[in-house]
Amino acid sequence: MSQRYQITRAAELKSLSVFREFISDCCGRHNVPEGTVFELKLAVDEACTNIIEHGYKGMDPGSIILAFRIEPDRILVHITDFGHVFEPADAPKPNVEAALEDRELGGLGLYLIYQTMDNIDYQSSDDGNTLTFTKFIK
Amino acid sequence: MFKRLRVNTEPKKIIPDLEDISVSQLIGDASLPVTIKALNSLPENAKLRLYRVLIPVQVLAEFDINPRTWKNLEKIQQVRMDAEQGSDKVKIHAWHGDDPQNEFFYLELADNQYNGIDMNFLIANNPTSEKYRTDYDNEGRDTLFGTVHRNIIEEEKAMQAGLSPGQVREGLRCSSIVFTHVETFLTMMAHHAFFLEPLTYVSAWIFEKRGFAYSKGHQLMDTIHKEFQPGGKLHKALDGSTPFRQPDQWKSVRGRAWAIHDGILQAIDKKWDDLKMIKQVGRHAGVSTFPDAEY
Repeated sequence: MSQRYQITRAAELKSLSVFREFISDCCGRHNVPEGTVFELKLAVDEACTNIIEHGYKGMDPGSIILAFRIEPDRILVHITDFGHVFEPADAPKPNVEAALEDRELGGLGLYLIYQTMDNIDYQSSDDGNTLTFTKFIK
Repeated sequence: MFKRLRVNTEPKKIIPDLEDISVSQLIGDASLPVTIKALNSLPENAKLRLYRVLIPVQVLAEFDINPRTWKNLEKIQQVRMDAEQGSDKVKIHAWHGDDPQNEFFYLELADNQYNGIDMNFLIANNPTSEKYRTDYDNEGRDTLFGTVHRNIIEEEKAMQAGLSPGQVREGLRCSSIVFTHVETFLTMMAHHAFFLEPLTYVSAWIFEKRGFAYSKGHQLMDTIHKEFQPGGKLHKALDGSTPFRQPDQWKSVRGRAWAIHDGILQAIDKKWDDLKMIKQVGRHAGVSTFPDAEY
C-alpha cells in the first residue's frame, strides 16, 4: 500500500523550509527513520536550490511541484519545474578531495544527492523537467 | 562520478512536416504528438470529427444546440470551426440566436514553438445576461479586454454587477468541463500539457483551482498576495483614489483583480504581464496563491 503526497510552491528560497516541513510531516505519518528523513530533506533542498538558482534564472520564477510516494520499502520523490532544462553533464564536478580552503563555494548539490539517494533519474520534455529520486527504507 | 545518474531526456520525437497528414500517420505511433497544423491538413469532415470534442456537449445543451450538427432546434447553424489548411490554430465559435457576432463561446488552440499547445483564448459568456461595453472605449476603439484602452464608466458598472476585468457579460461557469474536454482532446493527440497566459488575476486564480502550475509568475502571485495583506504596499494603495481602489478590495479575488487592472501593481514596481501557466494532462498541481479566498 503506497501513499502519495504533493505540494507546489514558487521557486524561491523561502519555499525550501516549506518543503522540508512537508517532508517531515509526511514521513512522520509513516514512521520513516529519522536518518532517511534527513537525507531526503538534504536531497530535496539541493535539487530545489538548483532549480531556483539556475532553472528559473532570468525569469519570474514559476512553480516547483514536489511529489512523493511512500511505499513499504522505498520512497520515490519527483520534483517538477518548468524552467530551463538542466544538463547534468554540463555541471562541473566538485573536487571533494581538495582542502576546504581551496574548494569553490557551492557545486555540491548533485554530489550530495548522489551520495544520499539510491537512484536518480532526470527527464525533460515539453511538459516540464522532472527529477526523480528513489530512497530505500532500511 | 555521476555514473548512477540516469539522464533520460525524453527521446526527441521527430514530427514529420505534415503538409498532408494521412490516415496512416494518424494510425501510426500513437505516442507521437500531432500538431494542430497537421490536423488542419485533414479533409474538412475529418477535422470536424476530431475538433468537435472541444466544445462540451453540456455547454451546447444549455442552448439546445445539437452536438453532432451544431444546429439549434430551428436548424440554424450555431457553431463554427476555423481550422484552415496551413494554419497552426483551431478556433471554435458558438453564438446564440441569428447573429454570429453574439458569441457566447470562443476557444482558440495553437501550436507553440516547443511542439506543445497554447490555449490562446477561452471565452464563455452567458448570452442572456446584461452586456457591458467594456470591450469598446468612448471613441469606439477596441479596448482589447481593457489592456490597450479602457471604458471606465462601463467598467465601473461591470464591477458593480459582479463581473471581472475583461468580461463583458457574466461567465458561463464552464471552465472545468472545457478543460476536461481539452485535456481529453490533447491526450488523443499525444500531448502532455498545454499552456496559457492568464489575462487577469481572476483568470490566474481560476486556473490554479483547475490544476494549473506556473511556468512564469508564481513568485509574482505570492508577492501580490503578501502585499495585499494589511500593512502591505498594495493594501495601502487601496486608497479610494479611483472606483477600482476601494479599501475593502484586498479581501476578494475580484476586488484585487480590478485594482490590478487599474494599475495598482505600480506600487510594487510590477506589471501584470509575462505570467505563463501550464496544465499537465491528468495532473492537478495544487497551487493556491490566495488560500481561503473570497471570490
